[in-house]
Amino acid sequence: MQSSRSRLRLAAGVGICALLMSACSAVDTASSDEADAGGEGTSDPITIGVSLPLTGDFSEPGKGVQRGYEAWVKIVNDSGGLLGRQVELKVLDDQSNADRVVADYESLIAQDKVDLVFGPFSTRLVVPSARVAKEYGMLFVEPAGAAAEVFEQGFDNLFYAAPAVANDHYNYLAEHILAMPEGERPKTVAYAAMDDPFAQGTAYGLKDKLEAGGIKTVADEVYPPNTTDFSSIAAKIADANADMLVGGSQYQDAVNLIVALQQLDYQPKMAAFSTAPTNPEFSKAIGDKTEGILSPTGYTTAADYPSNVEFVEKYTEQFGNPPSEDEANAYTTGQVVAAAVKAVGCAEQGDCQQKLIDWLRGNTVDTVVGPLSWDEAGRPQAAHLIQQYVDRKIQIVLPEDQKEADFLYPKPAW
Amino acid sequence: MTSPHLVFQSLVLGVLLGGLYALLAAGLTLYFGVMRVVMIAHSAFLILAAYLAWWFHDRTGIDPLLSLAVTVPLFFVAGVLMQRLLIRRLSPVTLTMMSVLLTFAIALVIEGLLGYVFSGTQRRVQLGYSGSSFEVLGARVAVVKLIAFGLAVVALLGLYLLLKRSRLGQALRATIQHRDAAALVGIDTDRVAGYGFGLGLATAAVGGTALALDSTIYPSLHWHWIGPLMAIIVVGGLGSVPGAAIAAMALGILQSLLQLEMGTTWAQTVFYVALFATLMVRPQGFFGGRLAQRF
Repeated sequence: MQSSRSRLRLAAGVGICALLMSACSAVDTASSDEADAGGEGTSDPITIGVSLPLTGDFSEPGKGVQRGYEAWVKIVNDSGGLLGRQVELKVLDDQSNADRVVADYESLIAQDKVDLVFGPFSTRLVVPSARVAKEYGMLFVEPAGAAAEVFEQGFDNLFYAAPAVANDHYNYLAEHILAMPEGERPKTVAYAAMDDPFAQGTAYGLKDKLEAGGIKTVADEVYPPNTTDFSSIAAKIADANADMLVGGSQYQDAVNLIVALQQLDYQPKMAAFSTAPTNPEFSKAIGDKTEGILSPTGYTTAADYPSNVEFVEKYTEQFGNPPSEDEANAYTTGQVVAAAVKAVGCAEQGDCQQKLIDWLRGNTVDTVVGPLSWDEAGRPQAAHLIQQYVDRKIQIVLPEDQKEADFLYPKPAW
Repeated sequence: MTSPHLVFQSLVLGVLLGGLYALLAAGLTLYFGVMRVVMIAHSAFLILAAYLAWWFHDRTGIDPLLSLAVTVPLFFVAGVLMQRLLIRRLSPVTLTMMSVLLTFAIALVIEGLLGYVFSGTQRRVQLGYSGSSFEVLGARVAVVKLIAFGLAVVALLGLYLLLKRSRLGQALRATIQHRDAAALVGIDTDRVAGYGFGLGLATAAVGGTALALDSTIYPSLHWHWIGPLMAIIVVGGLGSVPGAAIAAMALGILQSLLQLEMGTTWAQTVFYVALFATLMVRPQGFFGGRLAQRF
């Protein structure tokens, strides 16, 4: 069953690619006729080079990012292209490998002479590829790579196309907790974070803010990414018996830790984990014990930004299900680059790239995740929404003006 | 700083973990004992069995433990066939070394197929009793961990009795001790080796199911397991099932207790520290006896 479904998906994917290509070439000829008639500008499509982890460790999110880019290309081309030119995506597979990603961007920029590049997935691949883009003076907008180290490499060409960097993911939650009356709010917190720049960044961003607000840290565990047995970590956290638990997690670590904590009958009043709870597989793994678990998210299909309504509708039409965060961040990347291209009026290698960079430095772009602007290192200046499992559904609870459900506190027993 | 309660809890967790390690390592030491084969794919078969248990539970909703009724015989046959069709074709002179390459390839194939069939999505068996536990002298004992431990005890005891009491067991042990001499007294060592391999894979079926009860699985998970398991069988003495069991228990408890003071990152190194120490002090392992001395 499973295999036939994935084969079907593969076939569908191939079919969509084929359709996209034929659509492009068909429109291509049409637009060149038009350009010949008008006698101005170039009629070639704008080519965008991107390398993605379509196989290997990051293949799942990598494919998500690819879908987001494809959705953007389709929506742009359907509405007449960029600067009157069609857009074409050239995707290479870097196999989640940092050496491959460097070679990929080298060849995309130097040999294929793509007009623009988009970023790959994950901090580990964003940093080396951003370096290549910088050498060639290319604008580098990226959909993933939220860890602090991305912005500390001195890249002046990089922009992160999401609302906030890892350390700011929990900002709304920190504000909310510190605004609670002294007697009600959690007094002690236990932290468990994966030894990974992104995961740790999320937990420690919150830790810094809560400690500054006078909330005590009673446990602070760091574990390597290959940890599979969480019973000992859980034992230490349960022993500390903190009011609140914060997990700087990816996916399997959060799930394994939560089950290990349930087995030890530790019941925190508040529990927050990064990434894992937003994964559709999460509630299948935890069962009916998810109630009250918090998680930051950079995207919601429910947001009423005008471009988001269009994105959700057309994406769902194209792929059969609504987009999630990876797809949305990829789409945002496209929107950011498109805004700069439209404003500056060019899309090619050379001086144009610096103009695009300068424009983004000084302007705000409306995207599916809201209006984005950046500091000089490319850090976006917004915050992540806070979601919580309420009535077995993951819903937005913070900030107040965007909430879908009321903040649940204390958390029911798991 | 560390309360006695926490130390006792960690000790309990360590014993449960050690039991699981013993079960997962048992097959590995058996292959080496019987055939001098370093079976890199053992942990890949564990994950395969774990996936089959998950898939069985996901499709039917029946307790994944019942999948053992299918996977154990299936893995036994797969083991016999693997030995007959692949391992036996390796030249005896370079068998140990080439078996690393061969089984490495098999591990990659299994990982690839799992990814193709079940996708890279991380899965977990969700049972009504996943988070249940009961209290023993102030320590919490998780039901799923106890079941896994019970599976380990039953499987290892069964293996031990088989080796000690049955004719096949005698033949297997004779083959482990001295293959040529065993052949001289009339044991069909090739056939016995095939059964030995089958038995090893059958333990992988049990181990993988035990693993699936209490962990999140994904196709590349086996790489995290093979290192510690290899270390366990070297410390225990290559080819010795009781040695592997004792080493697994000792290292499991040690890892769990070290985690209290040193944290997860350093506690993981206990396997490799033990491996280095064993190779320096007693390279044949602590229970391996004559067999391992020849290597």
